[in-house]
Amino acid sequence: MKSYLKNFFPRYHLRYIRTLVYMLQASEYHTGDFLRWFARTRDFLHVEERKQLVKTIKARVFLGFGYLFAIFLCVLALWVLIVGTLWWKYPLFFLMALFAPYLISYSLVAFLFVLRLVQWPIEYVMTASAKKKLRAHRGLKIAIAGSFGKTSMREILKTVLGVGKKVSAPPGSYNTPLGISSFVKTLKGDEEVLLFEMGEYYPGDIKRLCDLVEPDMGVITGVNEAHLEKFKDISRTQKTIFELADYLASVIGAKAGIQQGLLYVNGENELAKKYAREDVILYSRSGAGEWKVEKTDTDLSGTSLVIQKGSEKISAHSNLLGLHQVGPLVVAADIASKLGLTSAQIEQGISETKPFAHRLEPKTDAHGVTTLDDSYNGNPDGVRAVIEFLSSLNGSRRFYVTPGLVEMGAKKEEIHKEIGRELARAGIEKVVLLRNSVTPFIEQGLQEGKYGGEVIWFSKALEAFSALPNLTVQGDVVLLQNDWPDQYA
Amino acid sequence: MKAIAVVFGGRSAEHDVSIITAHIPIIESLKATGNFDVWPVYISKDGDWYADKAMNEMTFFKQPDYEAILKKQKKIHLSFDNGLELVWPGFRDRKVKIDVVFPAMHGTYGEDGSLMGLLRMAKVPFVGCDMAVSAVAMDKAFTKQVLFAEGVLVVPFVWFTHEDFVSKDGVLKEKIAKLKYPLFVKPVHLGSSIGITKVTGKSRHPGEGRDPELENAIEVAFHYDDKVLVEEGVENLIEVTLPIIGNDVLTLASVERPLNKTEFFDFKDKYLSGKGSGVNSEYSKIPADIGDDLTKQVQELGRKTYKTLGCSGIARVDFLIESTTKKIFVNEVNTLPGSLYVHNWKKSGVSGVGLVTKLVVLAEERFTSQQSLTHTFSSSILQKVGGPKVQ
Repeated sequence: MKSYLKNFFPRYHLRYIRTLVYMLQASEYHTGDFLRWFARTRDFLHVEERKQLVKTIKARVFLGFGYLFAIFLCVLALWVLIVGTLWWKYPLFFLMALFAPYLISYSLVAFLFVLRLVQWPIEYVMTASAKKKLRAHRGLKIAIAGSFGKTSMREILKTVLGVGKKVSAPPGSYNTPLGISSFVKTLKGDEEVLLFEMGEYYPGDIKRLCDLVEPDMGVITGVNEAHLEKFKDISRTQKTIFELADYLASVIGAKAGIQQGLLYVNGENELAKKYAREDVILYSRSGAGEWKVEKTDTDLSGTSLVIQKGSEKISAHSNLLGLHQVGPLVVAADIASKLGLTSAQIEQGISETKPFAHRLEPKTDAHGVTTLDDSYNGNPDGVRAVIEFLSSLNGSRRFYVTPGLVEMGAKKEEIHKEIGRELARAGIEKVVLLRNSVTPFIEQGLQEGKYGGEVIWFSKALEAFSALPNLTVQGDVVLLQNDWPDQYA
Repeated sequence: MKAIAVVFGGRSAEHDVSIITAHIPIIESLKATGNFDVWPVYISKDGDWYADKAMNEMTFFKQPDYEAILKKQKKIHLSFDNGLELVWPGFRDRKVKIDVVFPAMHGTYGEDGSLMGLLRMAKVPFVGCDMAVSAVAMDKAFTKQVLFAEGVLVVPFVWFTHEDFVSKDGVLKEKIAKLKYPLFVKPVHLGSSIGITKVTGKSRHPGEGRDPELENAIEVAFHYDDKVLVEEGVENLIEVTLPIIGNDVLTLASVERPLNKTEFFDFKDKYLSGKGSGVNSEYSKIPADIGDDLTKQVQELGRKTYKTLGCSGIARVDFLIESTTKKIFVNEVNTLPGSLYVHNWKKSGVSGVGLVTKLVVLAEERFTSQQSLTHTFSSSILQKVGGPKVQ
């Protein structure tokens, strides 16, 4: 009872409305995600923990609406109390006061629907204009789809192809029709290669993006349980991602010396490999297309590779960490070679590739502790690749810090236990876990794998981050795996 | 979970440095272990004692008005009823029993043995050197006298009180004249290099025997202390320092060489040049590039000094090396190195958590062994008072 009251009254706190808007923003204005969060949340005062509300125009509009609606409810309730003459004015006032927090929350959802009705024609005009501009654009359009590794693939292609061609790609995570449309507006028309990341949240998303972009060729980086909570079934994820393959199958012709409709599929990912048609190019750490990987090596300084196609041989060193980067690097080399880049240019391109923000990005501090920030990597394949990389580091004491992975749906137990077993196999010295609904499964996996290292628990990420500098010594490697956004708290 | 009180602040010139040491790394590391209920005990510049968990965060002391905020709080009392208790007096006293104390006070009343004496009276284990060695190490002149007597090389020095300086001016001048310039003038009790001046001898009037620069330096030193030390500077100087932990069995950190820009490692270099880590971590070389032989000698001398003075828990020994003759002098001993010199320990394979955990264990071990000693014995002397004289 005491805790119920403790959680009930904060709903009348001024911060309550800001919290609701923050969560709308955090769930990317998806009503389903927002309502699910609202239904399970008890403590509305401590929600903005990992991040804060970014006061975009949209967020300000929702804040304004929320406060106005709250004022309206207050005035209405007082009016009932003052003007009402019958006995039931008291229970009515009480009920209004009781349900006000819920009414405010649902009114924000209703407001979102209204806004969508207004937004829809604007979006339609924007995407139609982008589609028209893109269709007239002469650049080679490469689409990248997959449950994971899209941004890495985009950045690798951008860097390697950028040595010999004018390449452009939407910044950040612009992977929705609206994001891509606003990027298209900025194009000058003289770009030779355009790269598009295609985000998938629901079935049909990739098809819609293909209709907008009309890609000439594509890369499927893999299929796994990322966003499984939304897709429910992994085969639906696979079908959605392979909407790119379906689209490219219907594209014929040639552009910039490349056969249109060409598709690269990650051969290291079982699900993607299983569904790939025979005419696709499978890529892996052994090679891609005619390029064969002769030699590889990886450590904290980066990844070296020697690749060969006939008499052409390229020996390069990328600053990217881990052997899982070799496949995408060879894809970039293959496309670059098809576009007419010389071996020297490809070598230069590969050597210019470097870790991207929050994706296995190494930083060594003044005390000689190396932190590998992999907080944007929250999918099982990515985790496996990183643990494999950590296991290859000899002579360092390794800390693996994770809150687990989100949106793993029904597979969350199995996936997290497997992470535990992999960590045990890799002999990681310290596993730092943040308390939530999934990390106990990692601990179970560790026990099943007869883990010999130390498990350290923290309740909050911030506690772990402030403790880590006190737990480490020179030469230690600390891997920060994935983030745990507030909407999953 | 053990309740541990970290005592910091205090009536000392190093009050602010103590706040840094208490938080980075002590409180942060104690919290990171997850094994301690950490009670920050802050002593204000006026000598008032406060304990509030909000003070576990360094940000509390970054508030410009933190002193005013504290003044509104209830001061704590200490109870020594078979151990130490923090008491918030009121209608019903609130009490917290403390299992271990982690002194984090630099300088007077903290590092000089005063606090240790109090904690001995309270019968509670505490981290770091005990009362007697703290008192000796706090006085640079005493330290040199003890070490010199035990055959440890120290630079020639002269010490005097303010009273001596006024009454025995001539004798002192004679003694000082025998020292080789450049000279260093130091208040004997202050740490963190506060009040230290280098005297070059450029302003000396050989005929008159006067040196305004020296007189000025002594005046500065007397501003901070009533006992002053004048010592010879070392030519071709290499300064190194060695943090050590342990009671009987010692663990050495790396020999560290401060790469000071100024002429000697002063307060600014030590505490203000580093970026956020509390003590200087950018301007020192760890391990010091002095070669294996000198490193071994420094380590050996470090052990000898630590044992000679009777240090326990933690201490840092500072050395002066004459780089051409390779003569090594012990300069001073610091019983509470700023921020525990955690930057050095981290480079020597000991984390902040490892360090504080070990220090707590050492504190408990020393306490247990002290408790096993007999401090009282039965006698009939009281009954005999006033009786016939014992022949």
